[in-house]
Amino acid sequence: MFRSRMNEVLGLNRRNQEYVRPYNHPKAKALADNKIATKKLLAREGIQTSEVYKLIKNRKQLAFLDWESLPKSFVIKPNQGTGGNGILVLYGRKKGELAWIRPGGEVLSKKDLTLHIENILEGRFSMGERSDIAIIEERVRTDSFLKQYSYKGVPDLRIICFNLVPIMAMIRIPTRRSNGTANLHSGAICTGIDIGTGITTYSMHMNNKSFLSDTYEMIDSTQDLKINKKLSGVQIPDWDKILDIAVRCQKASKLGYVGVDIALDADKGPIVFELNARPGLGIQVANQAGLKWRLEKIKGLSVKSIKHGIRVAKNLFGGEVEDSIEAISGRKVININEKITLYYKSYKEGSKNENKDRELTTAFVDTGAITSRISRSYVSRMGYFETMRQFDYLKCPKTFDTFTDAQDYIDEYSKNSTSDEYIIRLAKIFEDGQIVIRPVIIVKVKISGEIRDLEMIVTEDSTHSVTLGRNDLRDYLIDTSKTFK
Amino acid sequence: MTYTPFTQWMITTGVPQQVLELLLAVMIVATIVSIARYVIGSKTYGIYAPIILAIAYSYTGLKYGLAITLIVILTTLLSYTILRKVRMHYIARIAVNYCLLAIMLVVFFIVVERFGLGLENMTNISGLAVISIAALSDFFIKQYVKKSFKSSVMILSSTVIIAALGWFVITRDAVSEYFINNLWIVPLLIVFNIFIGQFAGLRVKDLFRFKSISQNKDNVQK
Repeated sequence: MFRSRMNEVLGLNRRNQEYVRPYNHPKAKALADNKIATKKLLAREGIQTSEVYKLIKNRKQLAFLDWESLPKSFVIKPNQGTGGNGILVLYGRKKGELAWIRPGGEVLSKKDLTLHIENILEGRFSMGERSDIAIIEERVRTDSFLKQYSYKGVPDLRIICFNLVPIMAMIRIPTRRSNGTANLHSGAICTGIDIGTGITTYSMHMNNKSFLSDTYEMIDSTQDLKINKKLSGVQIPDWDKILDIAVRCQKASKLGYVGVDIALDADKGPIVFELNARPGLGIQVANQAGLKWRLEKIKGLSVKSIKHGIRVAKNLFGGEVEDSIEAISGRKVININEKITLYYKSYKEGSKNENKDRELTTAFVDTGAITSRISRSYVSRMGYFETMRQFDYLKCPKTFDTFTDAQDYIDEYSKNSTSDEYIIRLAKIFEDGQIVIRPVIIVKVKISGEIRDLEMIVTEDSTHSVTLGRNDLRDYLIDTSKTFK
Repeated sequence: MTYTPFTQWMITTGVPQQVLELLLAVMIVATIVSIARYVIGSKTYGIYAPIILAIAYSYTGLKYGLAITLIVILTTLLSYTILRKVRMHYIARIAVNYCLLAIMLVVFFIVVERFGLGLENMTNISGLAVISIAALSDFFIKQYVKKSFKSSVMILSSTVIIAALGWFVITRDAVSEYFINNLWIVPLLIVFNIFIGQFAGLRVKDLFRFKSISQNKDNVQK
């Protein structure tokens, strides 16, 4: 159990050996590590990034920086920073002074900011020892819906894409502990997102008490807000658009394996923060699912377009939400139009005709009906032709005036021996506005991976060849959102 | 000590015996660091720091080595906390840090001489080994500045633990004697490290990190 689940998990060694190194060309990696170059590239592709106010490349430019021209709120970050270090968010300007206010209320003077920028220029926050460029850019204003989950900062979506397929997603939510940054290591919350629907699943944060690094604690609501909110089951707005942007970013950047960071701006919608050529592995914990087997499924797949990639992802990796509902209620989730397998009369497991003797079809889930139904032409095809003939020999009246009459007829019939071994009983039903009697047979059906014998009334042909009724729906929850897809 | 003919030949052909021993020690500790990183998953300050530390410990002795390490880190922390409040450039700050470090080490030697503290005979310690340990300060600060205090302490501890392990291995007479007389082990170490370099399995640390995924019962393969 422990081992098999662990086999699905992607470790650091394999990430580097099999994904980052072979799929991310050094040139592409260099681009992702350079925020300005990334912005330029994405702008060419028509993908929104946060607006740059000023670039400061050296001390001279810093000395001549016109502080007055800056807007009230902005962000200062290093061009080649790592792990969110060196990012300074300024919320507003102190009236009448050249001083700005940080999310925590701390006031920074022009001198403080100058020093911070000098540190950036010296490469203190950057990869390696190189000198760096400081970016002064627009502060993203959090989408009002997501705002209620986060403390001050901007929640940030991370989508891992591979081979033009979004593989796994999570949202990082700033907390009081993380001081408004969406950085897992400083205490932000990470919540997994179901790729199929954009609904949040599991949540975790770094364990505060544990001294060992990288130990996570699963949680189910925000931890330090005034009113804490439940984190699972939240629909991320604009989900399809977000997936589309993520895959477009991957295509543009030529990174084979990439983590795309997207924020939702209140006015502009999804904005790409940055591309990450070595996305972290904690996302697996937030989703309680392994990356390894997902990546292996996608490896070598020929994905024709962005839309195709998204469809593949939704089909293959969507459904964590349904699984987690199942975990809570012990029931499986099925759709209104659910794909089921019907087994023919002659079906025998392991026989050479095994595949011929079953058929995939769509069943209509009808909570208004009590017993499940199947159309006559279907059962005839399934090998019950003779059974149907036997029913016809009964020559029961075509219609009945009342259900009582019908029941009387059924009672009468039950006294006689059954005409066919497969007809287990007769049922009175309302069909096309008339009361009729129909045979009930047992049909072997596979619903949601489980084979069951269902009692089904054989009806005349109608819109739905197979209808699942209440009797057979006890073990399921019905998802109405996919009705017309 | 008697050497095999090949080793004997090397020593008489101009390879200083001490250098040979040191180079072997470097290879052994480097391999230990590589195993620690890719199989166990413990990060160190690069590969140079644990190697130099292990060798320094072999000169100072583990007890003295660890004592000096402690002094170096405490002084670094102290000086960093003080200097943080002063606006100054990074390298200048590190330079001040080294000056303070030098003073503290001198004070430490005097204190040990006066009060013993279970660390007698410190006067015989090699100066080069002491400054090798002092170099930890730079690594520590860099990590502290770029990541966090916690991560720096974490990496410091694993660096010291691995260096101590390296010290233990390279100071065993049996080990160094065996290695110096069986130099064919050197290409074997290369092959072994190439193998480690290809290893794509989960690190021991990954197993702990992702424990919750394997424990999640309702997590169906999807």
